[in-house]
Amino acid sequence: MSDPRTPATTGSRPAGAVEPRAPREYTVASGEWQELPDAVEDDVMVINMGPQHPSTHGVLRMRLTLDGETVLHNEPIIGYLHTGIEKNTEYRPWTQGVTFVTRMDYLSPLFNELGYCLAVEKLLGIVDEVPARAQAIRVIMTELNRVSSHLVWLATSGMELGAISVMLFGFRERESVLDIFEYVTGLRMNHGYIRPGGVSSDVPDDFDRRVRQVLAEMPRRIDEFEDLLTSNPIWIERNKGVGVLTAEQCLDLGVTGPVLRSAGVPQDLRRAQPYCGIDQYDFDVVTTDSGDAYGRYLVRFAEVRESLRIVEQALDGLPGGPVMVADRKIGWPAQLALGPDGIGNSNEYIGKIMGQSMESLIHHFKLVTEGFTVPAGQVYVPVESPRGELGYHVTSNGTNKPYRVHVRDPSFVHIGGLPDVTRGLLVPDVIAAVASLDPVMGGVDR
Amino acid sequence: MSDNPNVAAGEYTAQVEAGIEVALPDHLRRLRDHLTGAFGDLEAVAFRGELTLVVPAGRLVEVLRFCRDDPAVGCELLADLSGVHWPGGTFVANEQETTGWPTFPREQEGRIELDYVLRSVRHNHWFRLRVNLPDEGPRVATATEVYGGANVMEREAYDFFGVVFAGHPNLSRILMPDDWVGHPHRKDYPLGGVDVEYKGASIPPPDQRVY
Repeated sequence: MSDPRTPATTGSRPAGAVEPRAPREYTVASGEWQELPDAVEDDVMVINMGPQHPSTHGVLRMRLTLDGETVLHNEPIIGYLHTGIEKNTEYRPWTQGVTFVTRMDYLSPLFNELGYCLAVEKLLGIVDEVPARAQAIRVIMTELNRVSSHLVWLATSGMELGAISVMLFGFRERESVLDIFEYVTGLRMNHGYIRPGGVSSDVPDDFDRRVRQVLAEMPRRIDEFEDLLTSNPIWIERNKGVGVLTAEQCLDLGVTGPVLRSAGVPQDLRRAQPYCGIDQYDFDVVTTDSGDAYGRYLVRFAEVRESLRIVEQALDGLPGGPVMVADRKIGWPAQLALGPDGIGNSNEYIGKIMGQSMESLIHHFKLVTEGFTVPAGQVYVPVESPRGELGYHVTSNGTNKPYRVHVRDPSFVHIGGLPDVTRGLLVPDVIAAVASLDPVMGGVDR
Repeated sequence: MSDNPNVAAGEYTAQVEAGIEVALPDHLRRLRDHLTGAFGDLEAVAFRGELTLVVPAGRLVEVLRFCRDDPAVGCELLADLSGVHWPGGTFVANEQETTGWPTFPREQEGRIELDYVLRSVRHNHWFRLRVNLPDEGPRVATATEVYGGANVMEREAYDFFGVVFAGHPNLSRILMPDDWVGHPHRKDYPLGGVDVEYKGASIPPPDQRVY
C-alpha cells in the first residue's frame, strides 16, 4: 500500500500523508552540459511522422526536419507496402496480369486494369477491334471509379483535418458507386473486370436503372458537400494557401492530374491522348489558378460532376453487341454467368465444351492455361487516373507472359514532390498538404 | 543491324526506314527529323505508332536538356523512367514458329535499357529516349539537373536494376529495404521457392517450374 521507502507514519501526521523524502544525491556522468545551450538555440529537430501516423494516408513515413514548428526539410520514406506486383506479372499469362495490377492503387482499381489492358491491346495491335460496347462500358466504369476515388479522397482528407462528418458522408456516398461495381463485377474492389480484348462479362439487365439512380442522387450529395465546405471558414483556413505548387514546379517534378490542373494547366489525358473513345463525350477540363490545397478540392469536385456527365452520355449512347474481341485466339471464350454455386462460366457454354465440341474444349483449355502470345515490342500507354498520369510501360518478348511491366504510378511521382510541397509549412499544414496530393500507398509502393 | 543473318544489312536498314515511315504519325516523323537533325547519332525506332530514339549513354543529359529547352520539342514533363534487363547469352530466334522459316541462334550481350518517356504538354506529343547500358556495372549521368521528377524515378531504377546515376543527390534504395542484397528486377536475380508443409516438399521458383 504505502511506499516502502517512506517511513511509517508518526502520531503527529494523519494516516496516509506522505512524508517528505530525504534529500538524495545525484551523480551525473559525461558532463557535456556546456554544449547543450547551443543545441537548444539551434532548435532543429528531426521528427518521424509515420509510418503508422493516422494522417499519412497509409504507411507513409516522413522524416521532418523542424525548426520549432516550421518544416525545413521533409524526406518521405516509402516501400512499406512494396509487394513486387510488377515482378509477379512476369510469371503469369497476360490475362492474369489484370488480377495483379488491380491491387496496386486500390482506390482506382479499374484504371489500373484499363491501363494494363490498353497496353496489352496495343502490343497485340487490336486497339481498333475492341467492340464499341466494351469501350463504352469501360468509360462508364472508370468514370464512376473516379467519382468513388475522389469521394474517398474527400473523406480521408476531411478526417485528417478533423471533419468527421465529411468522412462519414464521403464513405456513405462512395458506397452507392461500389454497389454498382459489386453488381456488375461481383466485387467492390480488385475487380479483374476489364480484360485484354474487352471486359469479362456484359453488364446485367438492371445496370442502366441502377446507374441512373446514382446519377440522379449524386449531384444532390455533391451539392451538400459544397454547401458544407466551400465557404466553411475552418475548411478555407486549413486549405487555402497550403501546399502551393506552381505550374512550373508541377511540370518539373512530374506532378500531373488534379494537382497540375489546380495550378492552371489544362492537361488531361482524356483530351490529350483519348482512350476508349472518351473524346466523343462532352466534358470540361476544370482548372483553378491557386495551386493550393483548396484549389485541388475545387478541381476534384468539379471533376466529379464532369465524370457524372460523361457517364450519363455514355449510358445514353451505350451500343449493343459483344463485349470481347471477335478474335477467338485472344478473347476469353466464355461469358460469365451466375450459377447455383456462384459466378462461373455460363451453363450453355459448359454444355458445349463438355458435351458437344471436343475442339472447343481443347481451345478453352489452351487459352485458359497457356494464354495467348503477344508480339515482341514495347509500348507505353497512359490513362488519366483520379491522381494523374497512370502509365503502363509494357515490354513483350513474344511469349505468353509479359517480359516486363513497369507502372508509372502518379502517387509515386507525387511523393517525390513532397519535399517541395511541404517546405516552410507548419506541422499541421503538412497533413493538409499531403492529403491534397492524394497519394495512395498501394500505388506508390506497388 | 538485323539479328537475322539471312537479311543483308542494307536491306534491313531499308526495311526499318520504310517501316518507320509507315508506322509513325506525321507529327512524330517531323519530331524525329528535327531531333536526328540536331543530334546526328540518334537511332530512331518505331513500333505501334510510338517513336523511340536510342541515345548514346554519354550524350543523354545533353539530349534531355535539348528536349526540354528547344521550343519545337518542348518536353516539360519527364513522364516516366523505367528499365528492362536483357541478359546476355545465346538465344534461338523463331524457335516456336511453324512457318518453315530457318531458325538461327544469335548472340546477345547483356544490357539494361533505360526508357525516358518525355511529354510535351503544350505541343501534346510524347516520345521515348532509350539508353542501352551494359548489365555489368551500368552507369549513366543523372537527369535530376534537367527534370526534378527524375529524383525518385532514378532511385527506383537503381533499386531494381542497380543502375548508378552519377551525380544523383541521394541515390539510395527507395522501395526495397536499405539492407537488401541484389536488384530484384534484373533477370538474373534469383527467385525464391515456397516451402510446403507436407513431407518436406518445396515448390521451385516460378521460373524453374515445369508444368
